[in-house]
This record gives sequence, C-alpha cells and structure tokens, in this order.
Amino acid sequence: MTNGSGQPRPSAGSWVVVVIAWALVGLPLAWGVSKTLQTAVKLFR
Amino acid sequence: MSFGLLSKERIIAGPGFNRWLVPPAALAIHLSIGMAYGLSVFWLPLSRAIGVSAAAPGDWKVSTLGWTFSLAIFFLGVSAAVFGRWLERVGPRRAGVVAAFCWGGGFLVGALAVRLHNIWLLYLGIGIIGGCGLGLGYISPVSTLIKWFPDRRGMATGMAIMGFGGGAMIGSPLANLLMNHYKTATSVGVQETFVALGVIYFVAMIAGAFGYRVPPPGWRPVGWAPPAPQANTMITARQVHVDQAWLTPQFWLLWTVLCMNVSAGIGVINMASPMLQEVFGGKLIGGAGALKDLADADKVQVAAIGAGFAALLSLFNIAGRIFWASMSDYLGRKRTYFIFFALGIVLYAAAPSAGLAGVIPLFVAIFCVILTMYGGGFSTIPAYLADLFGTQHVGAIHGRLLTAWSVAGVLGPVVVDYLRDYQLGRGVPAADAYNTTMYILAALLVIGFIANLMVRPVAERYFMTDAQLADERRQAHEAGAAK
Repeated sequence: MTNGSGQPRPSAGSWVVVVIAWALVGLPLAWGVSKTLQTAVKLFR
Repeated sequence: MSFGLLSKERIIAGPGFNRWLVPPAALAIHLSIGMAYGLSVFWLPLSRAIGVSAAAPGDWKVSTLGWTFSLAIFFLGVSAAVFGRWLERVGPRRAGVVAAFCWGGGFLVGALAVRLHNIWLLYLGIGIIGGCGLGLGYISPVSTLIKWFPDRRGMATGMAIMGFGGGAMIGSPLANLLMNHYKTATSVGVQETFVALGVIYFVAMIAGAFGYRVPPPGWRPVGWAPPAPQANTMITARQVHVDQAWLTPQFWLLWTVLCMNVSAGIGVINMASPMLQEVFGGKLIGGAGALKDLADADKVQVAAIGAGFAALLSLFNIAGRIFWASMSDYLGRKRTYFIFFALGIVLYAAAPSAGLAGVIPLFVAIFCVILTMYGGGFSTIPAYLADLFGTQHVGAIHGRLLTAWSVAGVLGPVVVDYLRDYQLGRGVPAADAYNTTMYILAALLVIGFIANLMVRPVAERYFMTDAQLADERRQAHEAGAAK
C-alpha cells in the first residue's frame, strides 16, 4: 500500500519501534511530571 | 557535497519510514536542553562550594551565579539567529550533534569551573558554549517536523517544544538526587553532578540527532493534499528566503507578537510564588494576616505552598505547549494568537480583583490559564512562520525570530522588578504592589494583540522564483528536489 505521493505506508513492525521510542522519552517525562505534581499538591493541602 | 554520517543525504528517509519516529527524536533533544530552566537548582549549593556547610569567604553569590542562566538564554537567541541558515543547509542531524557537544560539553567545562572555582569558566561553559547548544538544539527539529507533518504543523512542533518546557521537570529532581549522592564532607557534589549530567545529556541528544530523518522530496501523508492556493491565503505554498523574510513587515509583527507574549509570561513566572504568598498571606494556611506578620513556622508553610503554585504553573506551561499548538491546526494561527491576547488581557486585568476578593481558587485558575498561553505562544510560532513564509527556510527564520525571546527575557523581569520596587518605595503595601504590574503586563499584551491583527499574507515580491528555489535546494543538498 502506498501513500498519496506513491510511497509505501509504514510497516506494522515500525509501530513497535515507535512505541519504544516514545517510551524512551515519555517515561522520564512522566517521572518528572510526577515529581512536579508531588510539589504542586502542597498548594491544595 | 558531503556524504558523511552526519550529512543531509544520509538522513533522507527510506520507503515506509514511520514519521512518528521523528517527534521522540526531537523530544530527546528538547528534554535535554530544557534543563536550562532548572539551572537554578545548582546556585544554592554552589554558593557554598568552598564552605560546604555554609558560605565562606571567596564563595560565589547566588546573584553572580544567576548570570550563567541569563548568558545561556542570550546565546540561545544569538546562536539560533546566526546558525539557522547553516542548519538549513547541513540538515538537522549535524546541527543536533553540534548541539550535543555544546550542551553536554558545556556541563563538562562547568565541572572544571567548579573544580578550579573560576566563575568566568562557568560563564563560558554553561552560559556561552551551553547557550549555543540550546539555540542549535532548539531549532534543529523545527523545519524537519513541519515537513513531516504538513497536515498538523502546530501539533508536531508543539510536541518538541513541550519538551523544552518539561526538561527542567526531569533535570531538577535528577540533579538533586545526584548532588545528594555525590556530596561529601568536603564537597557539595556539584562538580560530579555536572559531569554526570553532561554525559547523560550528550548521549540523549546524540541519540535524538541520529533519530532525525528528513522526508524524501515530494513526500506527503496518506490522504492529505496541499490546500488549494486560494483556499487559505494565510497559508502559502511558496517559499520566502530567510534573508528576505526579515525584511517583511510580517516578520517584525510576529517578532512583536512573540516578544510581548513571552515578556508578559516571564513577568508572571518570576513573581508567581512571592505574589501568591504576599497577596494572600496567612489565608493560604487557613489563618489571617499579612505575610510579614506571620510566625516563622507559618512562613515556611506558606513558602511551601508558593513552591507548589510555581510547580503547578510549570505543568500548565508544558500542557499549553501541546494543547494550543495542536488547536492552532484547527483554529488557524492568527485566531489562536487572537485568543492568547484577548483572553490574556482580560485575565491579567482580572487577577488583581481575584486577589482583592481573596478568592484563592480563582486566582490560581487565572494564572494556570495564563501559563498555558505563555507556553502555547512558543510552540505555535514555528507553524505561524511556516504558514506565512513556507517551509524551506522556516528553521532559520524561526532562529532569527528567537531574538525576541532574548529581549523578552530581559524586558519581562525588568518591568516586574522595577515596578514593584518603585511602588514599594512609594509606600504601597506589598500585597497591593502587584496590581499595577499586572495592568502593565496586560498593556504589553495589547501591543501584541494589535501586532497580530496587522498580520497579512506576505507580498508577492518577497517569494523566491522557481529558479531561485531550485538553486536553493541544490545548495541545501536536497538532491531529489533539485533534479
């Protein structure tokens, strides 16, 4: 299957790599967000 | 023409490449350089680098150390403006690698500066060399992302620029963990932490740079066709050269838009925590009375709440970067900035009333929304530039526009600090001293509002001819496009 410019669509396997790549940046970011949330909740106590 | 590992020819995506691999590569770089906003975590420990348990003669002052951040932001703007054209020619991978050497290497020079206790070396390492890494790293993915996501330009650049907002959320707690790990009876642990962070950021940024791919000429997403030329005159299908772009009124109008939005936002960020504490005082802990009248234990509690407020604002800052940039794909860039400024003016002007009424949730909510629009202003501007000037030189044009950030970095805090000192000097109570400041920041937004309203499509004479574009693409080593 091709896209609009005649190039093949990404393979199903490429989506596994996408998930891994996003996890590599998403997990540290999630850790940072959770640390920030721990500080932020002091506002609501 | 270079065919080395870093060259543009080597990173043209092969058939079937998944474009969703490019945003995490960009995020790896932006999350690393975003630590620029977390540098202040080092200033207190470094202010007792000699005395360790307490400041000793010869120790640096926090205000002296703070110049490192100012230098880094200044050189971010300068390097983005100067090297943007080079980036477009050599491609994002080479620029990302140079950024990794500058930012990671800057931390290593910083470690040497701590070892030698030489403040000028610290300024050189993290301020100047690191600042150049910030500028190159910041703009390195912009045009690549816009070319991969012509259907969602705002969302694509929003994802990367969200990383710059989130970098300090990872870097600050990580730095604290490392400093606690490395500190001894004779060291505050900053030197070793700088080395560790330098290596971590270098590896992450190199990984990001090697993850960059540029789309082959003529590539477009499945089911997407470029909008018809007359369908939306605010989105051009043609290209303006970076050396022409800054001669257009549109460039300077967008420069003003960014500068005013950022000035007002930085002003708020700088005063958010002390403002909450001084406006509400004892009310924050269920009591009464002004901040200066509270007992020391109560002041500690109020300060913790102020820190929580600042943390909450940083979360809304990064959320706004992806939310507003994505929304701009549907609303249009001009309308999105219209909302930023129109809503911003109302909210800035309403904040003093919420403070006077003593309604803490309303006060907090106002600033949370303001911070989403501050972040959104950063992340939506690359797509606005691509709409008006085309995608060929958008990275370089964005680089030059970032000088507005450098100016705003000075303008915002100066306006806030000067007005506050002036009012306190005239005997205005601390809790009321912020009101005039908020009205002045709202006035800055009025200037931005007018500038945005004046943005029109770029005049015909500024666009490149087909021959100029072909020549430009040859110079930029876009082999397929030049054929």
